[in-house]
Amino acid sequence: MSTSGLFRFPAPLTRVCPVPWALRLCEKLPLLSPGTVATLVQAAGKKDRPALLSLDEHELEEQFVKGHGPGGQATNKTSNCVVLRHVPSGIVVKCHQTRSVDQNRKLARRILQEKVDVFYNGENSLVCREKREAEKRKQERKKRAKETLEKKKLLKEQWEASKNVPGEDCRF
Amino acid sequence: MLRAIICGLGWRRGIWGCAFSSWQPHQPPAGLLSATKVVSHWTAVFEEKGIPEARESSEYIVAHVLGAKTFQSLRPGLWTQPLTPWQLQCIQELSSYRLQRMPVQYILGEWDFQGLNLKMAPPVFIPRPETEELVEWVLEEVTKGPRMVGAEGGPLILEVGCGSGAISLSLLSRLPQSRVTAVDKGEAAICLTHENAQRLRLQDRIQIVPFDVTLVESWAHLLPWGPVDLVVSNPPYIFHQDMEKLAPEILRYEDPVALDGGEEGMDVITHILALAPQLLKDSGSVFLEVDPQHPELVGSWLQSQPDLSLHLVAVRRDFCGRPRFLHIRRSGPQRGSPVDAWPGRQPVRVPG
Repeated sequence: MSTSGLFRFPAPLTRVCPVPWALRLCEKLPLLSPGTVATLVQAAGKKDRPALLSLDEHELEEQFVKGHGPGGQATNKTSNCVVLRHVPSGIVVKCHQTRSVDQNRKLARRILQEKVDVFYNGENSLVCREKREAEKRKQERKKRAKETLEKKKLLKEQWEASKNVPGEDCRF
Repeated sequence: MLRAIICGLGWRRGIWGCAFSSWQPHQPPAGLLSATKVVSHWTAVFEEKGIPEARESSEYIVAHVLGAKTFQSLRPGLWTQPLTPWQLQCIQELSSYRLQRMPVQYILGEWDFQGLNLKMAPPVFIPRPETEELVEWVLEEVTKGPRMVGAEGGPLILEVGCGSGAISLSLLSRLPQSRVTAVDKGEAAICLTHENAQRLRLQDRIQIVPFDVTLVESWAHLLPWGPVDLVVSNPPYIFHQDMEKLAPEILRYEDPVALDGGEEGMDVITHILALAPQLLKDSGSVFLEVDPQHPELVGSWLQSQPDLSLHLVAVRRDFCGRPRFLHIRRSGPQRGSPVDAWPGRQPVRVPG
């Protein structure tokens, strides 16, 4: 029985060993004008938050810093940084948030997903929209707080005015 | 004692790098130092001394002293704030261990596995990142395969060679109904697994038993804890002739018994497989982490042991594309014989 027939590759993450490509860390992303390029997967559903454009694993290249050496018990490496590249857009994410390669892979995908969304959907991307909404809510809170303060001030002035009887010493 | 003197004098002086430089090798330059600068300093020191993973080691040590698990996860404001003399002293001390090639996990005294924080202590084997994938595979099979959760909970799991308890405790935490029997030959491993189980409040669902799987005469002691749904192990699988090639981090600090698998790296593996049929339920599974040369060797060995009724059903690669994990299944009782004929079954003779 040949062992090749027994190999079963885990879905859905591809197992790519160190790929020799130049590393580019793109922090500033070019924003395309709304309406161009990709279709956005809008999962209307019950959630308020529509789904992000999902990433196709075949369009990703992944590099683990630990690709070298025999691996397993024979190696003790602590560098579990994951570098993930979205080939069509060229966006690269480097994640070393946790001590787990697996967690970093998942986080890298989530971060990349958001960046790709911004890349293709610009102002319409989820990230930008949520930012605008948060800013809007903040401004509304500020406005309400200001109004409340003014009301209190007015009430205080009125109360103080009613206290003052003509003829007594009082400050204006 | 000497360290206390250095600490005391350094603290009173409040200055680094003056008259006591000969007592404190490699200390950073005097002045206000931020986390980022200190990381760069120690990275350079480690590189100069040929310490592998110079930057990563430095980052982990500094992050640890600042209370974070990784440097990247630190609040960005902390990267540029000056460190206190106490923090600098701690970093100096931990870095001196790294200069002795102590693994970072032992320096920090803790490490993460599958999202769980575990205490680490030499010489107990440090869980490797590949092994997280072994746990993931087991979880996949448990959730999709035949139901292993019965009236009394489940699945029932046996782990051979528990070390720090990484595999057992991560399975317990992800499978709330499961129960584990964890065994190890090493006393330090037994203690550390106990400690980690308590830290994670999982002690009620695990029993930790000193046990040497290569002592066939002791197998009978485990039978009362069977039959189990799963046997899981990351057994010592390094080929004996490769042991001397291991990095100083491993050779100087980790228990060689946890690594050395004998001539073909198969000694402990074959014992586990020979024991498994006596402890597994029908269609129960064995999940192993192995050396990339083992899938073929194990396949052949199982074929040479038809009495075991074990079959290699799948091989899975690790994140570097190396065949690393095996799923072996027991094919059920022999025709006509009862399922739990424990006392009557003779242990299979194991090679070597």
